[in-house]
Formats: sequence, structure tokens, C-alpha cells
Amino acid sequence: MSEEIKVAKTAEMQQIEDKMTMLVQTGRIDNLIDLLAVVSDQIEMTTTPMVEKVVNSVDNLATVGFITENAVRYAKRETDNNEIPSLFGLLKLMKDEESRKGLAFMLNLTKGIGKQL
Amino acid sequence: MKKKILIVGGGTAGTMTANNLAKKLMPEINQNEIEITMISNSSKHIYRPGAMYVAFHKSSGHEFIRDQRSLLMPEIDFFVDEAVDIQTESNFVKGKSGTNYHYDYLVLATGCEVAANRIPGLEEGGDWFYNYEGAKKIAKKFEKLKKGRVLVTINFPKTPNIPHQCGIAPVETTMMLHDYLTEKGIRDDIEIIYTYPKHAQTVEDGLFLQTPTSNVLPSIFDSINVKYKTSFTLNKVDPDNKIAYSEEGEELSFDILMATPPFEAAKVIRDSGLSSSLDNEGWLPTNKQTLKVEGLDNVYTLGDTVDLSVSKAGGTIHNQTDVVADNIAAEIRYGYPTESYDGKVIAVAQMGLTCGMPLWYDYKEDVQPTPCSKLGSFVRLGFNKGLYWAAARGML
Repeated sequence: MSEEIKVAKTAEMQQIEDKMTMLVQTGRIDNLIDLLAVVSDQIEMTTTPMVEKVVNSVDNLATVGFITENAVRYAKRETDNNEIPSLFGLLKLMKDEESRKGLAFMLNLTKGIGKQL
Repeated sequence: MKKKILIVGGGTAGTMTANNLAKKLMPEINQNEIEITMISNSSKHIYRPGAMYVAFHKSSGHEFIRDQRSLLMPEIDFFVDEAVDIQTESNFVKGKSGTNYHYDYLVLATGCEVAANRIPGLEEGGDWFYNYEGAKKIAKKFEKLKKGRVLVTINFPKTPNIPHQCGIAPVETTMMLHDYLTEKGIRDDIEIIYTYPKHAQTVEDGLFLQTPTSNVLPSIFDSINVKYKTSFTLNKVDPDNKIAYSEEGEELSFDILMATPPFEAAKVIRDSGLSSSLDNEGWLPTNKQTLKVEGLDNVYTLGDTVDLSVSKAGGTIHNQTDVVADNIAAEIRYGYPTESYDGKVIAVAQMGLTCGMPLWYDYKEDVQPTPCSKLGSFVRLGFNKGLYWAAARGML
């Protein structure tokens, strides 16, 4: 049987106490404590090299996103602003150095994929 | 008539601003009404804060350098050409190649440079971590150091109320040095003395350029056995006898002098006649709200070149870049700028090798120091090694 003790407290402290009491009474506090423990354990078990590797992967994904988004936007603008090329016109597009660089990149990309299959 | 925007400088400020401008002005770019050009003196982009980690063998440095072109959206024309002359009356910037780059709007983002030669003997006797050459040099010295004294000195610009580059860096590196020497098991054999000049912007006889942080530093330094001394304004170094002299008439010997050296704006700015800062330091007179160069209606500036009181750091630029980009976009669309910079700086300070402290402040409120944490250090690491590049690309 718990003894009731009256303590002078601020309205804010009383609100916190009421909310905490609700969490205890409903049994939710157990799950929340477990969740906090899991979060704390994750921080404890994470090392600097692990963070570096994850961040590196995120950076790679962001780089792919940047290149792809830019290329799609550029291609759309060019397509919108120019007439559909004839067969010969398509070949003429390949005269452009940056187009050839992009094409070579795509072929090297397929080789890079092929090497992993 | 096509409007031309010219950005001079391919560092953090120039790159973020170029990409943000391209994003904000995409409808005009699609209509072929806007042309964005960047010129830089290098084909490489360097993330400067990375040098701090190189100084303590926590990075080799290559991971902080990328091709500038790979960070720019394809709508931006990029030329490797060093700006040598700025003609604001005729609206063009001359490149070393001889090309004149004409503009309707100009963004000067040429940063600042180490100017150790402004203190006699400092170039020969001192070391610093503000660039990669310096960081590699001091890293080798730290590796060889077995006992003795590391002296930390800090110089501010002579022009009043302007900070040195990255205000928190001397505190960060002092704490990193403590951790590094502890890791090596030689901390007890090496004395660290952190000194601070008499005048540090609005702080007198303190240990930091803002009062709240200056007040908590003694207890932090006491807890890690770092000695500290205020009112030591470095003005001369004897490199042969390894003695540092202060304006106040004191002298301190050292084995390694880890200095925050004087800085100056890029040569093209110093030669431009646009700045009236003391000793030709070259800080551009900047409107603290619009970020326009004072007296020039179509020239903006941001980052380390400005004469504002806020930190010369990436965490500042990240908050300035959208103001500049929005204002230029607004001028093109409505004829007047619409945004105002509030002095916001957001960063995570590296307080030792494994502890990070988030910080933020603006023109009105100083940094309120909070305890650093392991999680904070991971956030900083995440920014250094990944998020920075997304921010430079205007993705963040």
C-alpha cells in the first residue's frame, strides 16, 4: 500500500506526472522503456567505421539520383525543343562529344554489370 | 534578352549557390532566358573542414576532394579560369585566360585564404590545419611528438568585428588533440596550452568569440587538463628558438605551434578596390540582410569573403545560399529582392574525436553550449563524408 505524499510542484510537473501515471497504468511504459533501451543499444553498438560505410552508401545513392535526375531533365528539355530526328538525324546526334561520352559510359556500365553476373 | 548570372568561385558558397539558382530558375532556363556560368581557379572541389581530420590521421584527405563538374547541374556552364579583374561599372570579370565574362548579376564567392605571412615568423615556425598542405605537415609533426608543449594561438582579422575562418575550429582541434594524444598513450607527457587574443570581435579578455561559450570553456579545459590563457595576441614567432610573442609583451615556448593564422580574402577581391577593410584584408562590405555588396545593385556575396560578424564556415553558407539565390531569382522576376538573411549558422562541432555538439545561432542569439554526444559525432561524420556533397549539389 503506497503512502500518499503531498509535494508542492509546478503545473507543468503535475502534467508530466499525470501522463507518466497513465503510461504506467496502461502498461505502455514497459514497451517504451524497451524501445529506449533498443535505441540506446544501437547507439552504443554503432562504431565510426560503420557510420562511414553507411554514409558512403547513402552518398553513392545520392550521386546516382543527382546524375539521373539531371540527365532526365536535360533529355526531356532537348526532346521537347527539337523535332523527332530522322534515322540519319539520330546518327548526327552522335557527333556530339558529350553524347559519345555518355554512350561510352552506358556501354561501360553494361560491362560493369556483366562482370558481376 | 537573355540574363547572365556569373558565379566566381567553386568552393562551398559558389557551388551551393549555382545549383540552387539553377533549381529556382528552371522555368526561365527551360525558356532559354537565363544563362548561369561559374568560373573557378581549380577543376577540383575541396571540402575544407576535412583537413582538420587529416591533421590527426583520421582521414587521408582524398575523400574530401571531388571534380567540380560532378557537383554542378548540367544547366551550369563551368570554366576553369582564375578571375583576375572585376569591372563592376562595365559588368564583367576578366579571367586569367584573357576571357571577359559579362554578367547581369554577379556572385562573388571566392572565400578566404591563410595569410600566415602577416605575422613575422609564423610561416616558418607555425602550423595550421586550415588547408590540406598544412594539415599533412602538422600530422607528421604530431606523429613524431613524444613529449613537450603544443601551443594553440588564434589571430583575428585587424578589421573590427570580423571572425577568423570557422570560429569553433581552434576549440575543436584542441579537444581532438587531447583525444589523439590520449589514444597514443602520451597525453601525460605533453602540455597543451590554449591561448586566445585580447580582442575577439565583441569579447575582451575571453577564451572564445561569444560570451556564453567563453564562460564554459575553463571548466571544459580543466576537465581534460588543457591549460588556457587569455590576452595572448600573437604578433611574432621566433622559429629557430620556438618562442611565440604576444602584443601584450608575453612570450611562450613551444614544440608545436598549432595556429589559427591570419586570413585574407582572395587576391582578385583585394585588388578590386571594392573593400575598405584594414591592412587590405579584402572583406567585402556586405549588406547583412540582402547579402548584396554595398553600393552595387547587381553584385551579391556570401561565405568567407563577407565582412559580416557571423562565422566564416559552411554552416553559415548553407543558410546564406538560398537568400542569395532567392533574391537573384526575385530580381529577375519582379525587379527587387525579397529575402533577408537573419544571421543563422547551424553546425555540429567536433568536440574531441568521438563527441559532437550541435550548435546554432543568429544575429540576435549567441550559441548556447550544450553537452556533446557520441550521436552528435555520428551526425558530424555523416555530414563530412556524405551529406556535404548532397548539400553542395543543392539537394539538401
